[in-house]
Amino acid sequence: MRRVARRVLAGLRTLLRRDHVEHDLDAELRAYLDAAIERHMHAGSSREAAMRAARIEIGSATAVKQQVHEAGWEARVEDVWQDARYAIRTLRNAPGFTLVALLTLALAIGANTAIFSIVNGLMLRALPVAAPEQLVLVSSERAIAGDYAAGWTVPVWEQIAKRSSSLGRAAAWSVFSERLDLASEGEADPVDGLFVSGNFFQELGVMPVLGRAFTADEDRLGRAESRVAVISYGLWQRRFGGDGDVVGRSILVHRVPVTIVGVAPPAFLGPEVGRAFDIALPIGSAPLILNDDQWGTPAGRSYVAVVLRLAPGQSAASAMSVMRSQQRQIIEAAMPPKSIWGENQDSQLKDAFVLVPAAAGTSELRRQYSRAVVTVLVIASLVLLIACANIANLLMARGAVRRRELSLRLALGAPRYRLIQQLFVESVLLAAAGAILGLLVAVWASDLLVAQMSTWFDRVTLDISLDWRVVSFTVLMTMATALLFGLSPAFGASRVTPVTDLKDMAPSLHGRSRRISARGGLVATQVALSLLLVVTAGLFIRTFDRLVAVPLGFDSERVLVVEINASRAPSAAGARTALYQQLASSVAELPGVEHAGVSINTPANHGVTLVTGYTVRGETERMRNERDWDTIVNYVTPGWFRAYGLSVRAGRLIEAHDTRQAPLVAVANEAFARAFFSGRQAVGGTIVDVMGPPGRARESRTIVGVVGNVVEQSLRQDAFPSVYLPMSQWTMPFPEPDQVSLSIRAKSGSPILLTRAVAAQLLTIDRRLSFTFRPLQDQIDAARHQERLIAWLSTFFGVLALLLAAVGLFGIASSTVVRRQTEIGIRMALGAQGRDVITLALRQTALATVAGLVIGLAAAVSLTRYLQAMLFGITPLDPITFIAAPAVLALVAVVACVMPARRATSIDPMAALRCE
Amino acid sequence: MAPADKTSALVQGTLDMLILKTLALEPMHGYGIGMRLEQISKGAFQVNAGSLFPAFRRLERDGLIKAEWRDTENNRRAKYYALTAAGRRRLTEATREWEAQTAAITRIMRATLGEA
Repeated sequence: MRRVARRVLAGLRTLLRRDHVEHDLDAELRAYLDAAIERHMHAGSSREAAMRAARIEIGSATAVKQQVHEAGWEARVEDVWQDARYAIRTLRNAPGFTLVALLTLALAIGANTAIFSIVNGLMLRALPVAAPEQLVLVSSERAIAGDYAAGWTVPVWEQIAKRSSSLGRAAAWSVFSERLDLASEGEADPVDGLFVSGNFFQELGVMPVLGRAFTADEDRLGRAESRVAVISYGLWQRRFGGDGDVVGRSILVHRVPVTIVGVAPPAFLGPEVGRAFDIALPIGSAPLILNDDQWGTPAGRSYVAVVLRLAPGQSAASAMSVMRSQQRQIIEAAMPPKSIWGENQDSQLKDAFVLVPAAAGTSELRRQYSRAVVTVLVIASLVLLIACANIANLLMARGAVRRRELSLRLALGAPRYRLIQQLFVESVLLAAAGAILGLLVAVWASDLLVAQMSTWFDRVTLDISLDWRVVSFTVLMTMATALLFGLSPAFGASRVTPVTDLKDMAPSLHGRSRRISARGGLVATQVALSLLLVVTAGLFIRTFDRLVAVPLGFDSERVLVVEINASRAPSAAGARTALYQQLASSVAELPGVEHAGVSINTPANHGVTLVTGYTVRGETERMRNERDWDTIVNYVTPGWFRAYGLSVRAGRLIEAHDTRQAPLVAVANEAFARAFFSGRQAVGGTIVDVMGPPGRARESRTIVGVVGNVVEQSLRQDAFPSVYLPMSQWTMPFPEPDQVSLSIRAKSGSPILLTRAVAAQLLTIDRRLSFTFRPLQDQIDAARHQERLIAWLSTFFGVLALLLAAVGLFGIASSTVVRRQTEIGIRMALGAQGRDVITLALRQTALATVAGLVIGLAAAVSLTRYLQAMLFGITPLDPITFIAAPAVLALVAVVACVMPARRATSIDPMAALRCE
Repeated sequence: MAPADKTSALVQGTLDMLILKTLALEPMHGYGIGMRLEQISKGAFQVNAGSLFPAFRRLERDGLIKAEWRDTENNRRAKYYALTAAGRRRLTEATREWEAQTAAITRIMRATLGEA
């Protein structure tokens, strides 16, 4: 060990004090020579004879110095350094090649790094909290099986918190992030809000940069002390300009005055990856803010996510068994024996606790996007492969040109490995330069991509800053790239035979078959990979196309949606429905408004829908699963159907006379009619609600009309049975919701023009309403958003791949023509026609292309099945795509070869012959 | 006879050991070491500068010899090498190894049929 250290130090000393060491050696050699002369003179020779003898004895001083130099490791380093400088000069002398190579590499490596940093931010990175590996999320077997985020009611959370001595320390936050309104009146000023437990920040080890976090006292349900807030760093900068005295300031949240007590650190975006919070409030404040005194009680529908911090050394498994042993007490204490939802203690008890590692936080975005992002990463690395093949091809072509230079070096005595080292250093430099440029591309591109991932309801925020994972990924990729494109040309180019190559000035008659087939193989690989990427792009484009072609079932033109929050308005029994009716009818009267209606859900929306179960009166309870009774329920005012251009298929729509006192009615959609009344007339039938709370008489309604199917949530799902009930006939066992949607169809022109008039009208009716405007088109775009993004990205990479393949084909075709121009000239002189010449020149390229197409098709056929889950409306072997893609590639190949072909036919035989 | 013909191919490690041995008696400069080796081996080994100098650098780097510029008898400056303590230890080891090796080879070469 010490020997190694000593050698290293000595080598460094030599490197750094080169001149001094050299002087010393020179002096020592001179002394040696003098001693030799002395010795010979002693033996009797004259001075001249002695000097000659001494010189012969030593030999070449330079050679000796070289031997000494080689004895140390620093000689290698100096070699490499010398090679690097030479490489830079060589690259500078070939600007065309260097530019093309750098550009290609920058794009390919940059794209890969960008996408990997998204993978990193979305899936790999740990939360910026203390000891994230100790955190586990409390989930349940059913949630794991159904792949959704487990939420627990506040009473359950309170029970878990109470048992911290046995279960460990826990914290909680609201599962769904709330849009909280900071405006004082009228149109809403929404920010993303999070309700957290009092010890949330302390438990996670996130210390506020200003002010403080919450105390346990502030987390009591409904208490005035709970009206405090911690704002995010981003909100502090954006809204308050980073003002130092923001602590203690009072702001309105949902019209409730709240005091800011702290500012969160900039790195902490929230417990959920992909979603940033703007403002955090104690769970205890939720009933006050949301104006819902049921919130947080066993009867309310408020869910929180619960996370536990394991003790050091404790395993998740042991913590889980402790939790399961207490599950009965927890559930019994927290839940009433039967809740109104038909869910009861038994079903909760059967659903066992599961503890899931939560170092990387929870994430809905991850669930949605991870498959897509990984697919794009694979696509990007394929593009990188193609780029490497391209550059390898170019390097091989240059290797042919540099034959003379390399032969000269060999002839002068350089060992072969030095040649290889030199060429390889060139490749490494190229790759490194490309990688640095690529990093710049990556930073820009990943920002762009993350921005593209946001939709109107989902503001995506990801931490995509460069960390060690991304940097090492880039470094590894760069090295692999350099190896891939650099090694083979280096070996090939060094295989020169000095004697023949130094003599041989002109391109010879016979090509070197080995090198050519290597290049041909590269081109075939490029073509194959490009075909694979074009097929992928084609599949995604077709998927998006199919998605757009899905009939929405409603007329989305000129429709504006207004989300209305009436939580501050009176909520006496029946008052809300009266309010909503009034809103709908008065807005419908406004000039410019054709129809207006209020509803709980809007189409193509991700909102939470009401689902209940119906059976048909008069038929025996069939042997159906409970699942088959599921029906989406939407309460609407009479103008709603016309606002969406829905016309009735049978019977009538909901009218103004369907009041509370009138008989209970419903309008069904076609899916409902088909599922529940197959073959029979639905209109006039009676349906019975089977999901009501026990002890209540089952409600029955008469179906008075049938409308067409409307896309409720996802465009990919088939139509779901739905019923529409009059808003005035609200019969659910809980109060009417305080958030509804008002849908407005404009008479003509853009509905955005109506916002001011509508806002004024809403405020006239009740000043305490808050609302947000949104064109319906935004919702529809959001429903297709991910598919559009993937289609766009894969097209981008497909085009890139095509370009690279085209460049590769062009390169090999051109160099073939140049290399064989003598031969072609001779044949033309002997009478060959244009067509024969082209065949001769391009046969190799054509063969390589065809081989590539065949391989590519085979690969595509066997690999596209992995994309099945992301496709829609087409099979992985979609015929249109599989016919169009090779056709496109063939076209590109032909275009790439046009110029070389033209060059081939315009060869002047006399000039070519003269060259030889 | 030209010096080159008389230089047998000396393995690197062996040359190192011989240099150490030469320096065990007294510090010497480069030419002196070469001459001493030639003398003692009665002309069998004539090591040239191209082998000596790299060996000096190696040994110096490994801390087995140390160098110092001094005046020779003729008032010239030359670089004198001397053994370090580590060098002395190494020499003892190397000598032991060499003797064991040589004894073993000698035994094998002298073995006749019938011996174990």
